[in-house]
Amino acid sequence: MLNIEKKAVAKAVGMLACALLASPAAADDAARIKELERKLERSMQLIENLSAKVSELEKAKAPAPAASPAAADQQARVEALERQVAQLGSGISRRSFDDGIPVHGFADVGLAHSGEHNPIFGKGRKGFNVGSFDLYLTPQFGDRVRSLIELVFEVDHDGDIATDLERLQIGYAFSDAAVAWGGRFHTPYGYWNTAFHHGAQIQTSLSRPRFLEFEDKGGILPAHTTGAWLTGALPLAGNRFGYDVYVGNSSSLRVENTATTLSANNAAAFNSQVSAGGYAGGGALNMKMAGGDSGSYMTGFNAWIEPRAIDGLRLGVHGLGGSITDDSADRNRTRLAALGAYGVFASERWEVLGEFYRFNNRDLSGGSGSHRSWAGYLQAGYNSGRWTPYVRGERASLEQKDNYFAVQEFGRSYRRFVAGLRYDLDPKAALKLELSRTSQEDLGLGGDDRYGAAQLQYSIRF
Amino acid sequence: MRNAKLARSAVLGLILAPLAAIADGYVIAHSSVNVAPGDVREIYVGNMQFAGSVKLVPVDNGAVQGDFLSKVIKTDPDRYATIWAKKGFRDGLNPPPVKSGDAEVMDFVKRTPGAIGYVSTNPGGANIIVKY
Repeated sequence: MLNIEKKAVAKAVGMLACALLASPAAADDAARIKELERKLERSMQLIENLSAKVSELEKAKAPAPAASPAAADQQARVEALERQVAQLGSGISRRSFDDGIPVHGFADVGLAHSGEHNPIFGKGRKGFNVGSFDLYLTPQFGDRVRSLIELVFEVDHDGDIATDLERLQIGYAFSDAAVAWGGRFHTPYGYWNTAFHHGAQIQTSLSRPRFLEFEDKGGILPAHTTGAWLTGALPLAGNRFGYDVYVGNSSSLRVENTATTLSANNAAAFNSQVSAGGYAGGGALNMKMAGGDSGSYMTGFNAWIEPRAIDGLRLGVHGLGGSITDDSADRNRTRLAALGAYGVFASERWEVLGEFYRFNNRDLSGGSGSHRSWAGYLQAGYNSGRWTPYVRGERASLEQKDNYFAVQEFGRSYRRFVAGLRYDLDPKAALKLELSRTSQEDLGLGGDDRYGAAQLQYSIRF
Repeated sequence: MRNAKLARSAVLGLILAPLAAIADGYVIAHSSVNVAPGDVREIYVGNMQFAGSVKLVPVDNGAVQGDFLSKVIKTDPDRYATIWAKKGFRDGLNPPPVKSGDAEVMDFVKRTPGAIGYVSTNPGGANIIVKY
């Protein structure tokens, strides 16, 4: 702006000088011209001075210079420190430590009142009881070596404490799609057996489906395997696929505790050899943790998909096969062949579980041929905050001419309906009340029994 | 005087609380980790242990865990603990260790191959997997 003014003044002075020079009268008046030139010079000087002053004023009005880099850095440090101090307050109380091996577990206590009363199993249990005390460790050695060690203390039928090395498995993770385990593990058939097992607090219901109970509590399948297991899961097109394949020692049926009453009551139903041996209904599965003398193995698989379309849904199929020998003098051998399917839907509100098992067993020693049986359950629960009411229906139709079932103490057909209510006292403690109605079959004349039971359980995890 | 200070603090807290709740967060990872934003949930619920040949080492940030869980994992701390209780019991996996705050997470992620964590402030120069 100042330069424009200076140019305008100079132009005006120049024009004035030209005008004067052009006039005939001015030619003689050189002194006046010089005077004008001096005035012009003074004006120019004045303009220069004014320009300088305006520049100074403009500088004075400019914003303050930015803080030095050192001061900015210090300010940033102070702010970062403030954030850290603020976070320490809330974070320190939730901090976990990397050192050491954390011990986790489950425990439960309860009260039961059963109306069971039949010549085979006698009277049902009534009164307070201690459930199981389950401890497990998950030490990991480096990036890929894993282990899982689980020790369970549980009360047997006589009220004595039994200690069980439930799992001792050591694994190596090649990738998410391939983790190899060796040792004793929960047999990965269906869903329930690996999902809950002794974890009473993490299963919605108080009880397991009876046919999926542990070997020594009424289960008709080998809930544990000693062997090798390859498992993994991988995403594909948004879906998630998983699998298990395993091989382990074939279980045997220990028939030390004979139940001749059962055989006598229901002689017509049982395999004649089993009945003749007087050991019908007295056996329980033994997973041969130290190996066996038969040298036979059991194999199985499990494959599932979690489709992207329905969050919380898992659908799977599974199979289990092996040669099962009992410890009786006859040493009956049965080719166990089980195939099954299951579906699980677990959302924030709903939990629906269903499993189905089909047995097509073949007698390898007595020549009684093949026998077909089946078992299944369907359970549904609805979570409304802390309360979760649930119901479950179970059914097992087990062929009594099949040595595999006939020899087992709990290898009888049955129906059961269960209704229960779970209340979560906090995320790690649950109180459950469960009522059930059971119809036992295949117990022979006068042996079939229908009874109700009520159970209360207080379970925790840690 | 004391009451006035308390009142000012309360007002300030009321103003800052919602701001903190809507603050952004950043999932960061060690330079060796190459995962997609969609993998973060799978990593934090124990379904994804490896990224290629790299063993992932997720850590939780205790100071901002609730915000992260609700925005990214779509769950709350109680359910998150239950998820890991089941995962540990079934698969023998351990939950991510919990760090005390941004500084500790950033330090851990910076020096640990395979590490992945989340912070509440822009980590500047770190390997950011996703901003949430």
